[in-house]
Amino acid sequence: MSGAGMVEARIELPAGAVVAAPEKRRMPAKGAALWAVVVFLCVTPFLLVLTISFGQKIEGAGWEWAMTLENYQRVFVGASWPDEVTFLYLQKLYYSLYYAVIASVLAVLTAFPFTYLMTRRAQARWLVFILASLSLSEVFIVMGWDVLLSNRSGLPMVFKATGLTDWLKAVGWFDILREWGLANPRNVKFKTSEFATILTMTYLVWPYAVILLYPPLSRLDHSMVEAARTMGAGPWKVMSTVILPSVRLPLVGAILLLFVFLLGTYVAVTVFAEPAKQTMAVSVYDAVRGNTLNAPFGAAQAMVLLATAAVFLSLGHVLSRRAEAGA
Amino acid sequence: MMLRAAGQVFMALSAVMLALPIVVVSGAALNSGRSMFFPPREPTLARFAEFFLSEPVWVTALMNSVLVAFGSAALAVLIAWPVAYRLWLSDTRASRVLAGLGSMPFALPPIVFGVGLGFLWSFLGGLGEIWSGIVSHAALFLALPLVTISIGLQSIDRAHLDAAATMGATEGMTFRTVILPQTIPYTISGFFFALVLSFNEFIVMFFVSASSYSTVTLQIFNSLRNGYTPTMAVAAITFITVSVIVFSAVARWGDLPRLMGAEPSKS
Repeated sequence: MSGAGMVEARIELPAGAVVAAPEKRRMPAKGAALWAVVVFLCVTPFLLVLTISFGQKIEGAGWEWAMTLENYQRVFVGASWPDEVTFLYLQKLYYSLYYAVIASVLAVLTAFPFTYLMTRRAQARWLVFILASLSLSEVFIVMGWDVLLSNRSGLPMVFKATGLTDWLKAVGWFDILREWGLANPRNVKFKTSEFATILTMTYLVWPYAVILLYPPLSRLDHSMVEAARTMGAGPWKVMSTVILPSVRLPLVGAILLLFVFLLGTYVAVTVFAEPAKQTMAVSVYDAVRGNTLNAPFGAAQAMVLLATAAVFLSLGHVLSRRAEAGA
Repeated sequence: MMLRAAGQVFMALSAVMLALPIVVVSGAALNSGRSMFFPPREPTLARFAEFFLSEPVWVTALMNSVLVAFGSAALAVLIAWPVAYRLWLSDTRASRVLAGLGSMPFALPPIVFGVGLGFLWSFLGGLGEIWSGIVSHAALFLALPLVTISIGLQSIDRAHLDAAATMGATEGMTFRTVILPQTIPYTISGFFFALVLSFNEFIVMFFVSASSYSTVTLQIFNSLRNGYTPTMAVAAITFITVSVIVFSAVARWGDLPRLMGAEPSKS
């Protein structure tokens, strides 16, 4: 253990002294090495993306270093600006935000009652279940939903076999589904659709929502709830006047964090979203590794994505600060 | 009472929803044919043998996954320990910034970090090497052992440290006899969190491996377009089983509710 080595080097010092005044006795060389490792591993990748985003593509031969804003210009107003303005990539960013907002809000809203109820019972077993599904790879989740939603073997088959499709046609709801793009002339279809994309993304972050809401809900002061009950408040009254106000900020914070996480979703979007409604994360991949091969342009898009994430993360940080100050 | 029943129903419904795709994938693994059906046709366990023993593509992918997961989790713990220890010894601005930088890759969209690591390794000549994959995952999941070890260090009773100091223990002795034993469960939890997430991670590995080797998740993604085979479902079952076993172990020997941020007195 490297921590042990660090301490062994200052073996003569009594422990109390270290706890009281550790600052002056630090080994500068080891500290510097630690900083170097962390900065190299966790910061340089982001700096590289930033620098390369100002680079230039060489036709047919990769890219070179440069100091141009062309890539950013292409992201925001299109390559042939000012003659012509296209918002193709802003539209991709819009879809990134659109899917992420809906999915994160849905996940937190449905995870909230679940987590509240979970803190009232055998927690460890539920936590194992939640953590296991949380660590489940995006690839597996997409595979599972893909089997469930696919036209040949999944829910559409079930709809057809149970007569649900015919019933939907009889009541006239089938036409509404067709308008929403959730049915073809013969049967319901879920692939490809916004519905499938958002459903899978919600599923993807749902366990995270539970984990994020767990600490504030498990620390909830129950004497307050009891007091409100004794004074005759009904369950809804207790929820709206005691519980919700005290967890409002954690709720918003959780939505923000999940939103940032979902901005980078790749597999779910490539599999479930229509070609015209793909997100910026997919476009980043296409530029860096896929068929368009323009690393600087991909880097610029990644930076735009990162900036969006950073804005929302700092917003969340401010909120959590305020929550702590209020508590 | 009505509300209580509604709560039960909601919990059950959530659990079913959460388990649904997992159950479908698991069921599909029993198919004897080459395509996925649910419910399975002519159930067989032949796919399991294929995944673990006979299909070289899957066997190497599994080996790579295991190698990357164990290597990166160990490396992450080794880097996280001194960072967390510094933060605990002295809560200065510098040590807080260091811990913050270490958690950054985990907090930001992984696709950006993946792209950056792809550039980094292509400059250093490590692109497509398995060691660079290990280092990349260690950086990505550094935040996990960092958090669990910090929680462990905070749970140490300062009175024990004072007692050790009064009785003349050197810092090394205190570290070995007081600090280390009390934080080992938290260190192990952090190791396993990083292990399981690395096992399941996809997008960073995708950029870093540069198609020159594949882990199980990469292999599955590569086969996405060609249609699913039941062997892929076996991979999914294996992964879920590993996760459940690991987290059950953490819950059994570690303090799971506390690690997840519940009040210490409640656990």
